Amino acid sequence: MKPLGRFTKWLIVLGLLHGVVAGAGFFAPYGPGEQDREHPYVPPARIHIVDAQGRFHFRPFIYGRQWRDDSFEQFSEDKAKALPVRFFVSGARYHLLGVLPCRLHLFGTESGRIYLLGSDAYGRDQFSRILHGGQISLLAGLLGTGLTLLLGASIGTMAGYYGGWRDGLLMRLAELFAALPWLYLLLALRAFLPLAVSPVEAFLLVIVVIGTVGWARPARLVRGVVLSAKERDFVRAARGFGASGGYLLRRHIMPATSSVLLTQAAILVPQFVLAEMTLSFLGLGVPEPVPSWGNLLATLEQYSVLVSYWWMYLPALAIVPFFLGYLGLASALQEGAEAYKMEERRAGSLR
Amino acid sequence: MLLLHENGPPLLRAENLEKRYKGARGRGSGESVTALGGVSLSICPQTTLALVGESGSGKSSLALCLACLEPLTSGCIWFGGRDIAALDEPHLRAVRPQIQLVFQDPASSLSPRLTATEIVSEPLLIQQRFGKQERCARARGLLERVGIPREKAGQTPDEFSGGQRQRLAIARALALEPKLLILDEALSALDCSMQAQIANLLLELQSSLGLTYLFITHDFPMAAHLADEIAVIDRGKIVEMDASRQIVRAPKHDVTRRLLAATPGSFATTPLLRVV
Amino acid sequence: MRYFLRRLMQASFLLLGASILTFLFSALAPGNYLDEMRMNPQISADTVTSLRAQYQLDRPSPIRYLRWVSSTVHGELGFSFAYNSPVAPLLWVRAWNTLLLTLTATLLAWVIALPLGFWGATAVGRWPDRALSGTVAALLVLPDLLLALSLMILAVRSGWFPAGGLVSVGFEALSPLHKLRDIVLHMTMPVAALVLSSLPILVTHVRAAVTEVLGAPYLRAAAGNGIPRRRILVRYVLRAAANPLISLFGFSVGALLSGSLLVEVVMGWPGLGPLLLEAILARDLFVVIGGVLLSTVFLVGGNFLADVLLYWADPRIRIGRT
Repeated sequence: MKPLGRFTKWLIVLGLLHGVVAGAGFFAPYGPGEQDREHPYVPPARIHIVDAQGRFHFRPFIYGRQWRDDSFEQFSEDKAKALPVRFFVSGARYHLLGVLPCRLHLFGTESGRIYLLGSDAYGRDQFSRILHGGQISLLAGLLGTGLTLLLGASIGTMAGYYGGWRDGLLMRLAELFAALPWLYLLLALRAFLPLAVSPVEAFLLVIVVIGTVGWARPARLVRGVVLSAKERDFVRAARGFGASGGYLLRRHIMPATSSVLLTQAAILVPQFVLAEMTLSFLGLGVPEPVPSWGNLLATLEQYSVLVSYWWMYLPALAIVPFFLGYLGLASALQEGAEAYKMEERRAGSLR
Repeated sequence: MLLLHENGPPLLRAENLEKRYKGARGRGSGESVTALGGVSLSICPQTTLALVGESGSGKSSLALCLACLEPLTSGCIWFGGRDIAALDEPHLRAVRPQIQLVFQDPASSLSPRLTATEIVSEPLLIQQRFGKQERCARARGLLERVGIPREKAGQTPDEFSGGQRQRLAIARALALEPKLLILDEALSALDCSMQAQIANLLLELQSSLGLTYLFITHDFPMAAHLADEIAVIDRGKIVEMDASRQIVRAPKHDVTRRLLAATPGSFATTPLLRVV
Repeated sequence: MRYFLRRLMQASFLLLGASILTFLFSALAPGNYLDEMRMNPQISADTVTSLRAQYQLDRPSPIRYLRWVSSTVHGELGFSFAYNSPVAPLLWVRAWNTLLLTLTATLLAWVIALPLGFWGATAVGRWPDRALSGTVAALLVLPDLLLALSLMILAVRSGWFPAGGLVSVGFEALSPLHKLRDIVLHMTMPVAALVLSSLPILVTHVRAAVTEVLGAPYLRAAAGNGIPRRRILVRYVLRAAANPLISLFGFSVGALLSGSLLVEVVMGWPGLGPLLLEAILARDLFVVIGGVLLSTVFLVGGNFLADVLLYWADPRIRIGRT
């Protein structure tokens, strides 16, 4: 089936992307907090395979760094020191998936440091920080989406199934939440909670805040599905057999909402990752020293950084492939839902 | 209008049923639609009562109300010595198995996600009868009874033809061994030959299982062939109710006459097996 | 007339609900809030005590809410601790800047999106439509934070546009024409960011609406009657497609408002966004509430405007049937 094929393709792409971020400890040469105050704002390393003497090496290498005499705080390559890039090196200790202690890294150098995407003010490797920061941002997006869909599905089901005054009240509430500009609401909600919190608390706070803001739209969609499912004859028939409300919801009505919820998930996850990035960028999300894609970009607010150190901008690009993946997934799901609806209609008209 | 019958007291007696739906526009208009305006009827055990009327006459509302799937605005339904319209859901659950409904459109009355066996055993699951094995066995027995080949037991409804789907719906309705089966336009969505087949099946099941039918249709000839008694319903009220032979020979009400004259009577020409 | 009143009532209820909701959020951690205020060296202990008494900050929420409502009715919208003034005047100045930015961006975005969407719909399948779809998809994937930052870097590195602010130093001394030019130059990057971020959705919807209308049989009848194509496009297609697009217009004003906050902060435009952020970091409670409410007013106002336009454009609404 064609739509299914597209869906699987995008799922694989996303799976790979998430896998790289989840395995940040392995793919990144350094930990997110490893500082090197001697080398602030080092530009991205240039990988060479041909050295200054014109000889070809199979193993790629980088040159060491030395201060430039002519300008302050700028680096140039020290052609005398060639540092080969080794693969599957043993480096700093980390926990794979938070559980397994490990020391293996995909690549690294024996001495000196390889800054694939440059370093920041404290000499921390940006590439490593982007990968580790991705864990925070993506997790926040996924958990926030989970919370919103849980809220939205519960409220939507209650409103659709029971109807009456409950439906009216809940839908007015949803209208209210949908009427407020979400970013302002997000900030306001964050504003009234304590500002100076530990990174873990901040992370949880971000998830709660993001999750609470966006439930209105999923709730409305789920309510629509529940309303139409409630009127289906097979639900009536089940009631005729003496089924309780709980049974009906569990066996017949909730499964009908699954496709809507899945599509909403594909749409919401990137939006929520972006929301976390925005909060952290503004200083209201995950604080230093824990990296997140948002607070990695916060340094760009300083004019000097914006002008001189272009590689500090790169974390902004990290989310683009994920956006692409989720967008592809969402459109494949929507196409699939259309195809399913048409099949149902056709099947219903067979005599 | 009540008819006394030699077989004893009626299985089900409806007294002055009224059903009003609130205005379709919602809060603003306050207009309500009266689907049933004081319907009374009775059905004698092991007979077939046909309810004939045009669309919009209130047939489906009556079916849903009698099956206790829609609340009545007022009236009583006497079944098994109790007014089941006044029962609350926990008490009703014990009564429900005895009155079952077969819907018009099997495509919407059968859950597309379940297999045939699961569909037919669902009522047993809901009523928490028997273990899993027993339920499966009974389901397979029912499928055989209605003439669905064994290979199809594990398939989902979209792989069945229209006639087979309706057989499936009937099998499911029989799972709880009901006394009364309400067939709401159950044959109307089928083509002529299929209608005859299913009608034959229904008659056969009635005689072997001792079922009572309330057969709702807009097709008079079909009703005349299947039913012992016919009640004609128009705009929420019963306008005429009599033995089917009587009505066909000498209709008293305008509506009855109109309905008799309207249908081309193709069903009447198809040979029927009628077991007396 | 009744239509308007009903919509107006809905809008008012929405605003009332929004204010209650925002106040409810502020009730989440009243204790912490007061403590943090006391710890802030910028606010003297006397101010804290007097404000506490005046706004009854340690009384239960409903009373605080009523006190705030009365303050609003007097045109004050509460008191700002950081700026030491009533909230309302602070908001108005910034609000004008935000409105300037947002309205310009909205108009510009629509002026670009309408012909593009139209063009895409009338040239389905051929290369202009494909190119359009491709560009739209590419833009859709870029989040607005990314766009804003990119444009900032472009502005800073090229030096063509000023990086931040509404006006340059020495603005007062310029001639009126140069004043205008100065403001326009400052506005270019933020407006560009907003326009680019909203274009993909607008173009997609315009194209969808026009495509749907193009399939209608009465258009073929009109062509069969000999009406020239251009006239058909303008007089018939545009009118028929207007309905969903007008609703979208109202919605886009509101959406742009949410988006403008980030753009303003990143690009240094002195609108409501930076004010809100400052207030949050400074724990300036009433400014935050006022800012959120004002932006809700704009959003609700945008939708109301869309309703008004719809009423004027669609005769079926006037008769009472939709």
